Amino acid sequence: MFVSPLYDVEEKLGANFGEFANWEMPMSFTNYMEEHMAVRNSVAFFDLSHMGRLRVKGDPKEFDMLIAKEINNSKDGNMIGPTAFLNDRGGFIDDVMVYKVSSNEWLIVTNAINRENVIKWIRNNSNLDVEDLTFKYVMIAIQGRKFEDVIGKIDLMPLQFKLNSKFLDYNVFLISRSGWTGENGVEVWASEEVGKQIILSLSKTGVKPAGLIARDSLRQEMGFVLYGEDIDDRITPVEARYWVFSLNKDFVGKQAIIQRLESGVDRFRIGFKMKKGERFIPRHLSKIYSMSREIGYVTSSTFSPYLNRAIGMGYVESKYFFLGYSLTVNIRDKQYDIKVDEFPFI
Amino acid sequence: MSEVKVGRYIVLRDRFYTETDEWIKFEDSIATVGITDYAQKKLRDIVGIELPQVNREVNAGDSVGVIESVKASADIYSPLSGIIVEVNQKLVEHPEIINKDPYGEGWIFKLRVSRVEEKEKLLSADKYIEKIKGG
Repeated sequence: MFVSPLYDVEEKLGANFGEFANWEMPMSFTNYMEEHMAVRNSVAFFDLSHMGRLRVKGDPKEFDMLIAKEINNSKDGNMIGPTAFLNDRGGFIDDVMVYKVSSNEWLIVTNAINRENVIKWIRNNSNLDVEDLTFKYVMIAIQGRKFEDVIGKIDLMPLQFKLNSKFLDYNVFLISRSGWTGENGVEVWASEEVGKQIILSLSKTGVKPAGLIARDSLRQEMGFVLYGEDIDDRITPVEARYWVFSLNKDFVGKQAIIQRLESGVDRFRIGFKMKKGERFIPRHLSKIYSMSREIGYVTSSTFSPYLNRAIGMGYVESKYFFLGYSLTVNIRDKQYDIKVDEFPFI
Repeated sequence: MSEVKVGRYIVLRDRFYTETDEWIKFEDSIATVGITDYAQKKLRDIVGIELPQVNREVNAGDSVGVIESVKASADIYSPLSGIIVEVNQKLVEHPEIINKDPYGEGWIFKLRVSRVEEKEKLLSADKYIEKIKGG
């Protein structure tokens, strides 16, 4: 198992650690609700050092063929994404963010669980040069509605990034602005030493440390998928309603996507909310019913601190997708009402 | 009240324990029951609870309620046979109290014990310390 390079400092800050994708990472520091609300109302930082980070160099045509979104038209210094690497059947190998450094160099952030798969897949399908930077730098995200009040203004537009830049007077390899929690914020990649100094400095400034449980609840509120739960190599972007591709270009998996767009799909991803005050969470693969008929299953769910109710997502037979309609979900042999709702939930 | 620290978990000497991580405190024939610090830390953030029914007659080992956390849901078992005489209603709106104070404000239910001899089967604090050290 890999251990976050920031472990020692995080332990001093009160982290509770747990396993995620073969990494020992902070799950929470106080409790996820406080950490979650710190992002929605103020600002918090996350250690995301477990996420795969790759540098890819080579022929842009080759890279373009592997990635589902248009990348050639993007400017250097801009992020493209979320987009995806797909297999021939249109299933997700991974959903990724691509950072365009230049016309023949890109940085990629993969899900922790898929880092090795993505490296292998790129190497097997191209002559591109792949370097794994995951263990060279830590990645810290600082996110929150009051980001600028606490950290100060940042000289980056949404989806822009800079290499070899400064953050809080520290030299960092990369600073980017993606706002994946739905709030303002940045992500920085830095050496382990600088990373430690940054999180100590942030916590002294009153920025709350947050763990991966809060990351999941923040993502759920925005309707963002999690690989391994909500998407995998058998699910296509069409079923996931995850528009990470462009049909104006060629890429691996395009034919499968076109075929689905022509024929329609049998199932797709829905979002749902449980009733207020119902403080139960349906688990992965809990069954979803319309009246008495089983029509699908839950892929992920959590209790939303912001909405004060359980929220989640899952897949249902497409003919049962009625926005606002009440379905039911099975939790420990009891049926609970869920209302089909559109993302983001907040 | 003497408190023992086992790694990051707290065990109290004035309680009895179960293999399923409940604690029990006796006052005459009334047993107050909650879940241990070890159990709440394993479950992490508790978001909901289904409390036992008052006046329900239960046998030792019966599942009487459910604790829902972001990580998992867990049954609450009655450590002894008897009748549920009181439940901690505060937990319905604020189940996170169990995370904050598992041995105090986070108590879950009270039971009028019908078979005192079952007490013998409960774990002492020392036995419970051994159990959590092992797992």
